[in-house]
Amino acid sequence: MLSVSHILSCSPPHLVCALADEVLARYAPDAVTFISGPRCVLVQLRMVDGVAGMLFNAGDLLVTETRLELAGQFGFGMVLGRNPDHATALAILDAALRIPGDPHADLRPRIAELGQTLSEAYERRFAAAAATRVEFETF
Amino acid sequence: MGYVAVRGGSEAVARAEELVACLRLLGGSTPLQLPQIRDQLRHAVSRAMHEGALYAPLLAALAVKQAEGDSIEAAFLLRAYRTTLPRVIASLPVSGRDMLCLRRISASFKDIPGGQILGPATDYLIRLLQPTLADEDVAAVAQAAEQYARLVEMGGRRSGEWGCFPKVADYMRQEKMIVDIPAEPVSSDPFDITREPLTFPCPRSARLQAMAQADTSSLMSFAYSSVRGYGDAHPTLVELRYGYLPVQVAHPLTGEAITIGEIEATEAEVASKAHSVVNSNEPPRFNVGYGFAFGQSELKVMSMAILDSVLTQARAGSLSGESGPAADEEFVLLHCDGIEASGFVAHYKLPHYVTFEADLRVLDRARDHVAQRPTRLGQLVDQALEEQV
Repeated sequence: MLSVSHILSCSPPHLVCALADEVLARYAPDAVTFISGPRCVLVQLRMVDGVAGMLFNAGDLLVTETRLELAGQFGFGMVLGRNPDHATALAILDAALRIPGDPHADLRPRIAELGQTLSEAYERRFAAAAATRVEFETF
Repeated sequence: MGYVAVRGGSEAVARAEELVACLRLLGGSTPLQLPQIRDQLRHAVSRAMHEGALYAPLLAALAVKQAEGDSIEAAFLLRAYRTTLPRVIASLPVSGRDMLCLRRISASFKDIPGGQILGPATDYLIRLLQPTLADEDVAAVAQAAEQYARLVEMGGRRSGEWGCFPKVADYMRQEKMIVDIPAEPVSSDPFDITREPLTFPCPRSARLQAMAQADTSSLMSFAYSSVRGYGDAHPTLVELRYGYLPVQVAHPLTGEAITIGEIEATEAEVASKAHSVVNSNEPPRFNVGYGFAFGQSELKVMSMAILDSVLTQARAGSLSGESGPAADEEFVLLHCDGIEASGFVAHYKLPHYVTFEADLRVLDRARDHVAQRPTRLGQLVDQALEEQV
């Protein structure tokens, strides 16, 4: 089961941006206040090693981050790579889904649809790999 | 001939840079587009990313293009770019257990839970050039899509099957086949070599970070030396996996885990032979080393895992026979970074006129000394002969 943030960060950006545009259409132009970003920043990758379960820093990830308020509700968006539109769409959707009273409940089935599409893409991706499953014979 | 310090040369330097740009395109071929490099030169992009210690596939493609395929230069460009950005947060701990695998093999056990998946690999092919690639055109893209669809069909898409597998090392630990890594002082944050200088002996987290951004060829050479005879490594691949790892960070407002995307990564565990205990009261177990890198980088992670195992055993005093240079942690970690090493070696191309003038003066003094020596020797010999009389 994929989380909402997983679905929205891994789905095609244009589809996520379209959802955010639908949210924005319900607000006045000045409803969004940027707190920071969108900006490119680094996230340090903390890996758990497979031997001792020890944490180590495995390098940095380039991400785009946006922090904003939508009608007074804080929203946070972060996505791998340089994509200010996607990061801002994530922040808008994050804020929209946190507004008390859940006025954007209609987004949830739409997100679930994206999740279903993503899930099927993962299944196809692994199916291609599964075609190379091997059983070596020993002498 | 006189040797003196110089300055200036800015115009010539600028023209040299222009000449590089000209030569890249002077052949008349169509300029490479970044998605082409990212998609079709995957291993070059992976190498730039893990040696540059920055996961950014499209920027890595740009670095490969700008460096004209020079892997160290590409990694250098990425690492330099990294220094211009603020690091705002660390990810939540990411484990290889959560990898959605495209490839997953074990050389230790034939039958592993979930089975062995060769995935995208050329390990088992004869190295023959493929002349058909020379004449490839856009029609090949459509053919690849059809071929991929056939593979999907053959593999059989199943609901919820995304390539998650248990770790072979977990099974070995459960069966008490592998040693417990000696505990290190618990710290909230792992060592960060980008913030603190390495001192020795260093924490294992520093070792893993240093090797994760090390030059692949250097790690391979060190690991090879230990396997081949200048050391005591006898590795067997416990598991190698390549695929997609979801990355999560904490939401700044609620602290809940949120996914920010997936990265391509490779990791490996390698077991050494079963002498790896210091305390003879304990039953013998395998020592295991760990390797990780961005992208599909199998040689890198295997070399890293071999060296991790060797260095852990060396610290525990459980190596037998020759320890070799690869068991010297300071030697390995201070000489495995491709950017530091290349920078040091390449800087000798830059003007060293003042340094060399000092060398020339030393040479002159040495020559004077040699020129005078026969006279002094003659005097000494004469004096000795006189005393004998």
